[in-house]
Amino acid sequence: MKRFLRARMASWARRRQGADTLPVTMHYRRIYILPTRAGWGFAFLLFCMFVAGLNYSNSTALFLTFWLAGFVLVGLHRCHRNLLGIALQGATAVPTFAGAAGQVQLTLENPAPLARLRIEADLPGVAPSVTDIAARSAARLDLAVPTTVRGRVLIEGLRLTTALPFGLFRAWTWVYLPVELIVYPRARGSLPLPTVAGATQGTRLRGGSGGDEWLGLRAFRDGDSPRQVAWKAYARGAPLLVKEYCSASAPERFFDFERLTHPDTEKRLEQLAAWIVDAENRGERYALTLPGTTLALDRGAQHRHRCLRALALYGLAPARHAAIAR
Amino acid sequence: MPQLHAERDSLRPMLWTTAAFVAGALLNVDRVPIWTTAVLITCAAWQLSVAAHKLPALPRAAQLILTFILVTCVVATFHTLNGLPAGTALLIVMGSIKLLETRSRRDRYIVIGAALILLLAACLDRQGLARVPLYLGEAALCCTALVVTAYGGAGLHFRVAGLLAVRSLVLALPLALVLFLFFPRLPGGFWALPASDDAVTGLGESMSPGSISQLIASYDPAFRVRFAGAIPPPQERYWRGPVLHAFDGYTWRHGLGQALPQQPLRYMGAPYRYSVTLVPDANRWWFALDTVAGSPDKHVLFSYDYALIARDPVTQPTTYEALSYTHTESSEPLSTLARRIETALPPERNPRTRELAARLRARALADPQFVGAAIDFFRSGGFQYSVTPPKLDFDSVDDFLFHTREGFCGHYASAFVALMRAGGLPARVVTGYQGGEWNPIGGYFVVRQSDAHAWAEVWIDGRGWRRVDPTAIVAPERLRRGLLDILPNAVSGSARLLYATPLLAHLLQGWDALNTAWNERIVKFDVSTQLGILERLGVHAADWTALVTALGAGLVGWLAWIAWHIGRSAGPRPADRLARAYTRLCNKLARAGIARDAHEGPLAYAERIGRRRPDLAARARPLLARYAHLRFGPLSDAPAAAAVAGFDRMVLRCSLGRVRMRQPPS
Repeated sequence: MKRFLRARMASWARRRQGADTLPVTMHYRRIYILPTRAGWGFAFLLFCMFVAGLNYSNSTALFLTFWLAGFVLVGLHRCHRNLLGIALQGATAVPTFAGAAGQVQLTLENPAPLARLRIEADLPGVAPSVTDIAARSAARLDLAVPTTVRGRVLIEGLRLTTALPFGLFRAWTWVYLPVELIVYPRARGSLPLPTVAGATQGTRLRGGSGGDEWLGLRAFRDGDSPRQVAWKAYARGAPLLVKEYCSASAPERFFDFERLTHPDTEKRLEQLAAWIVDAENRGERYALTLPGTTLALDRGAQHRHRCLRALALYGLAPARHAAIAR
Repeated sequence: MPQLHAERDSLRPMLWTTAAFVAGALLNVDRVPIWTTAVLITCAAWQLSVAAHKLPALPRAAQLILTFILVTCVVATFHTLNGLPAGTALLIVMGSIKLLETRSRRDRYIVIGAALILLLAACLDRQGLARVPLYLGEAALCCTALVVTAYGGAGLHFRVAGLLAVRSLVLALPLALVLFLFFPRLPGGFWALPASDDAVTGLGESMSPGSISQLIASYDPAFRVRFAGAIPPPQERYWRGPVLHAFDGYTWRHGLGQALPQQPLRYMGAPYRYSVTLVPDANRWWFALDTVAGSPDKHVLFSYDYALIARDPVTQPTTYEALSYTHTESSEPLSTLARRIETALPPERNPRTRELAARLRARALADPQFVGAAIDFFRSGGFQYSVTPPKLDFDSVDDFLFHTREGFCGHYASAFVALMRAGGLPARVVTGYQGGEWNPIGGYFVVRQSDAHAWAEVWIDGRGWRRVDPTAIVAPERLRRGLLDILPNAVSGSARLLYATPLLAHLLQGWDALNTAWNERIVKFDVSTQLGILERLGVHAADWTALVTALGAGLVGWLAWIAWHIGRSAGPRPADRLARAYTRLCNKLARAGIARDAHEGPLAYAERIGRRRPDLAARARPLLARYAHLRFGPLSDAPAAAAVAGFDRMVLRCSLGRVRMRQPPS
């Protein structure tokens, strides 16, 4: 019942507000507020106190009741204000592999000279994430979106809420931003990397070996050896980076969808994803051929994303998406 | 590790909710059995230890058994669960057990609610001014606990939380005042209130030798009197209370006789007008200056012996206006029945008193001479005034008159009236208070329990009831000076200390005056006070509709103010005054139809206004140039505050008009 009401209200607000574009500032017109269960309980408590005070004609009790009623109303405005004026400056989705949690990163800016307490972001079916935002500053909120199948997930029904300062009211706002989360196919497959065609056999060397070609630094990824990390740079305040070397002639890999024989398309895509991850980790150059698409030889994070994205969206109509909004 | 962190997080909300509840219970600590407080402290300490991982949580079954045992204990103590004391004890016990199983946020809200109900119970029980700071502190504590609970973690500094709660309470204060002043009060209650079982202090309906001396050790006020106009001289400050008619040889009782008709009085001299505020003592006597001219309230009986007897016991501070004459006469003869009642003595008791009465009667044939002879007996009989007289025998009057000769006002009044009755003269004992302490700060008299007194009244044909105070004959100082002067050991040590230290006594008087003002203005606040306030505000013939109108106006005004006050702090606000003034100027220009572009500096903006809106240029350009000078000029590092203020005022004053067709901000 509650979920149904919430969905109805969300769609009503959607029609009322229209779609949003960044940055989204929380104005009066888009903030809604209702008492929480604790708020209803408090109201009942105040009613009882009021009746008792009136019945006993007790001035102190009545004054206490009136004062607490005023306190609740101040709480109503404070709760509303806790959200008012916050600007959603950015909303990006970090791609992920199917089965893992995708991350929606929200950047919230507080331009006002007062701190915002316990601003929560939630999506239907997603554990809410909470942050405080200090006065005149910004904060990032990450939402972990669980995924099951590859493809494109349109994130809808983002809600920013707060119950502070007293927990008696909950103010919220719906944000209708088209945030798209790309879900790569699961990287799994049993086949070894296809052998290199026409290129000199080369091997990637462990970091620190002398005499090899310096490739540069790349961001740390899970599984990298601590010995490859550029600790000196890290000590200077740089993010965690990994030094990459490879022999002068790195091997080149060609991954082709058509060359795989497995009858199931999804299995083929998963195998390709596994190869791409593997080749990128080895520091090799690779190309990907899908029916209708070819991505030329290259390496690096950008290339990896382009390839995996092509796999994620393979065979999907541009409009089709598996909405996570359940 | 994360779990550990989460549990440590819950310690702080736990601490605050527990503190709020314990403080709420302590407000009622002297009204509930001591074991409930022991249970409370144990449960609170246990739960805090559980939260800090020092002790294991109590199993659910043990909690249920504990609940059953403790509720049984409450029922066994009070024989009921109804009424304020039993309800408070039950709430403390149940809340203590709830503390033991408090884990979730919802549990904590329930505990805070219970703390607020305990605060309410304390308010209902006692509304003294001295307790107000305690109540305020508890309200602030509960509100802070609410903030900490809503936040739920350790990241919020308790000072921030406390400040948030206290500020909100301060913002709520105007609304509380408006509602308090104008919310229409009920003339009566919704349901009958249970009678308070307070220990009865003050004068009772009987008097034995020594009963009044117990009372006078108390420094507690009995009532306060504010005179409008003339103040009676000290020897006329007799405050009439219960009149006692029936004597069994030892104890005087009020007895029967309320059905007797009142002896008509002729009031003489100028009346005294005054108002009395009774301190609640669960008795039904209203005290008035002897002799009051009529009943001050329709629920109060003006009895045939000129006492005021209320229908209900006094459980709330009660104020009434009265009118008294200190000189009265009654020329009508006393009825036979009244004469029989007022001369009745237990047969075969106090034989020596009868003998003495017969002897005196033989010498003085007329009634006034008989009274005079008795007075002479007291004056010359070697009687001692003492607050700790020896205990009297079964025939108390004989023992007192012929043996101990040492007594307090009760002994003298009792013996005198018995002597009069033995001589066939109608006489009765009047109890009440005599004197009163002038409070120069508040401008009223405080009459304390230590002023309790008893005197005699005798019937003189053709003149009526005459007051005879045998105590005043034995110790004439008693009337002019306080009891403390004559009998310093009579009252408690703390009262003596106060009396001996003028500064302390003065402070005490100030505090008493403040308390009285509180009781008269706030505690006694009711419909008539509300209407009085409205009339003082200029509403003629104020009634309920006027009250509701005032309430609505106040409510709407406060709501608008609070919405504005809180809402304005949420927007981006430039840090310094110059920037704010500049923003205001730009907003004015935007309303006039030419908005500043985000990239535009003040001088470029001024130039564009000159090209596009020559009509505004004359007013806008000097202001923009002034801003540029203040912000970027030679002294721009620290522009003089006066110059900035001057610029701000110029911006405020300048009028640039407004364009009707405004583009809505996209």
